[in-house]
Amino acid sequence: MFKNEEMEINLGPQHPSTHGVLRVKLRLDGETVTKCTPVIGYLHRGVEKICENKTYFQGQVWTDRLDYVAAISNNLGWAEGVEKLFGIEVPRRAKYIRTLLTEQNRLASHLLWLATHALDIGAMTVFLYAFREREYLLDLFEAFCGARLTTTAFRIGGLREDLPPGFIKDAQVFQDRFLHCLYEYEELLTENRIWKKRTVGVAKLNAEDCIALGVTGPVLRAAGVPYDIRKAFPNAAYAEMDFEIPTRTEADTYARYLVRLAEMRQSHRIIQQCLDGLPEGPVMAKIPKILRSEVNEIYHPIEAPKGELGYYFVSEKGGTMPYRMHVRAPSFVNLQALPKMIEGRLLADVIAAIGTLDVVLGEIDR
Amino acid sequence: MSFLRTLIPFDIAAGLTVTGRYFGKVFFSANRKKVRAQIKHFTQEYPEVPVRLQPRFRGRLTLLKDEQGEIKCVCCLACEKICPTEVITIEKGKKEGRKMPYPVRYDFEMERCIFCEFCVESCGFDSIILNHQFELAAYNREDFSLGMDGVAQNMFEPSPVGRHSVAED
Ligand code: SF4
Ligand code: SF4
Repeated sequence: MFKNEEMEINLGPQHPSTHGVLRVKLRLDGETVTKCTPVIGYLHRGVEKICENKTYFQGQVWTDRLDYVAAISNNLGWAEGVEKLFGIEVPRRAKYIRTLLTEQNRLASHLLWLATHALDIGAMTVFLYAFREREYLLDLFEAFCGARLTTTAFRIGGLREDLPPGFIKDAQVFQDRFLHCLYEYEELLTENRIWKKRTVGVAKLNAEDCIALGVTGPVLRAAGVPYDIRKAFPNAAYAEMDFEIPTRTEADTYARYLVRLAEMRQSHRIIQQCLDGLPEGPVMAKIPKILRSEVNEIYHPIEAPKGELGYYFVSEKGGTMPYRMHVRAPSFVNLQALPKMIEGRLLADVIAAIGTLDVVLGEIDR
Repeated sequence: MSFLRTLIPFDIAAGLTVTGRYFGKVFFSANRKKVRAQIKHFTQEYPEVPVRLQPRFRGRLTLLKDEQGEIKCVCCLACEKICPTEVITIEKGKKEGRKMPYPVRYDFEMERCIFCEFCVESCGFDSIILNHQFELAAYNREDFSLGMDGVAQNMFEPSPVGRHSVAED
C-alpha cells in the first residue's frame, strides 16, 4: 500500500538559508538525506578571466567581489601576491595597518557568520546584536577607505592614504566594548540547550576527511589540526604579533562555533597590539608607475576568515597584466565537504551544515 | 536548581534576560533627550534623518571647476585609462583663450561605475572628486549616462534624487 520511495528535492538557489545562490540537490528517504549534490555557478562572473585583461593595479577591485563579506582579506591577498611577484617591500607602518584592518575584517566576517548561522538555526536575538557590532566595524572601514563592503583598501606597495584622524580613537572604543559583546553572545548561546541540541554532534567532519578534502580555516581547526597561515607562513605583520591558534577536537558544529568565538578573541588581541605598537613612517613604498613583469609564477596564501585564500599569478615578460590568475577560494574547497557532513543525517541538519561551513557564494562561483 | 537547569524554559529565560536588559535601556531612554545622549542608539532613522557619512565616502564622480568657473580637467586621459570598468570617455578639444586642452566631451556611464576612486587617485590636476551622494537610483537607463551638457546630464552637480523617494512624502 505504501510505496517506499526516495524523493529528490532542491534546496535553493533562492532559499534564505543557503547564503546566496547555492543550490543543493538532496535525495531524501523520509527525512534522512541519502545523497547530496551541491550545484554552483549561479553567480559566475569570470573574475579570473577578467583579471587577465586588467593591469595588476586595476585587478584588485574584482577581489572585493569574491568574498564580499571579507573584502579586505581578499585585497590583502591580491596586494601581497603582486608585491611578491615584483619583489616590492612594504613599509612597516603599512604592514601594521593592513594587519589591523584585516583582523577587523575577520571580526566583521565572523560576526556576520554568527548572526546568520544562529538565525538559520533559530536563535533570532544574536542576529541583531552581532549586526550592531559589525555595523560599527563597517563604519570604521568607511572612514578608512570610503566604502563599507567593496573596500579596495590597499594598493600595490602599501596604502593609498594613512589612517584618517580619529580612527585610532574610534577603533579603541570598539576594542573596549567588544569583549563585553562577545560575553553577551556567549550568554545567549554557549550554554543554551536549544542551541546545543541543534549543534552538538551535528555535521561532523574529522581531521582525516578535512585534510583529504582540502578543507581549511575554522572547520579544520575545530577538528584538532592547528593549521593557520598566519603562523605557518606569516604575512603582513603577523610574525610580530602574539596570538594563539584556538583548536577543538570534537569536529562538530558546536566545536566550530567555539573555535570561531575564540578566534574573535585572538583577533581582538591582535588589533590591540596593532593599535598599541603602530610604528611611524611612510605608508607607501616607491614603485614604478607602470609595473612590467618578468616571466614568473607565484602562489601567495593568506588566512582569510574562511580558510586558506590563495592567489596564483603567472606573468609574462614585459606584461602589465597577469598571464594567468587563479584564486584558491576557501569557500569553494570547503563546500565539497558538505556531502560528507550530511549524508545519512536529517534534513534539518543541512541548514546547520551550510551555516557552519560559512560559505560565501561570490567566492565559490567567482 | 540543577533540575531547573535541565528545563528548556530556563534557557529561554536566560536569553530573555539579555534581550530584556537592552529593551529596558532603550525603552527608558527613548523619549528622554538627556538620557538619550548618553546611550548611543545604533539605529538611524533614515530617510527622515540624513545619514552620517564619513569624509572619505566614495559617491558619484563629479567634475570640478576652478574659481573662474573654468573646468579644471586638462584631458590627460589618465582617468580614462585607469578606470577598471572603462566608463569614462573624454574627447579632447580646444577653447578660445585657454592654453590647456579642454574636454569637449566628458561622458560617464554611471551604471557600470563601481565607485573605486581610482580615477580621482590618478588625476594629477585634482579636477575630479567622488561626491557624497549615494541615493543614485533612477527609473530610466538614460539617467545613468552623465555628460557635460543638458539638464539631466550634469557632471558638475549631484544627480537628482529619484522623485518617488520616501523622504518627500
Ligand atoms: S570610480 Fe572607478 S569605476 Fe567609477 S569612474 Fe572612477 S575609476 Fe571608473
Ligand atoms: S585625470 Fe583629471 S585632468 Fe586628466 S583627463 Fe581625467 S579628469 Fe581630466
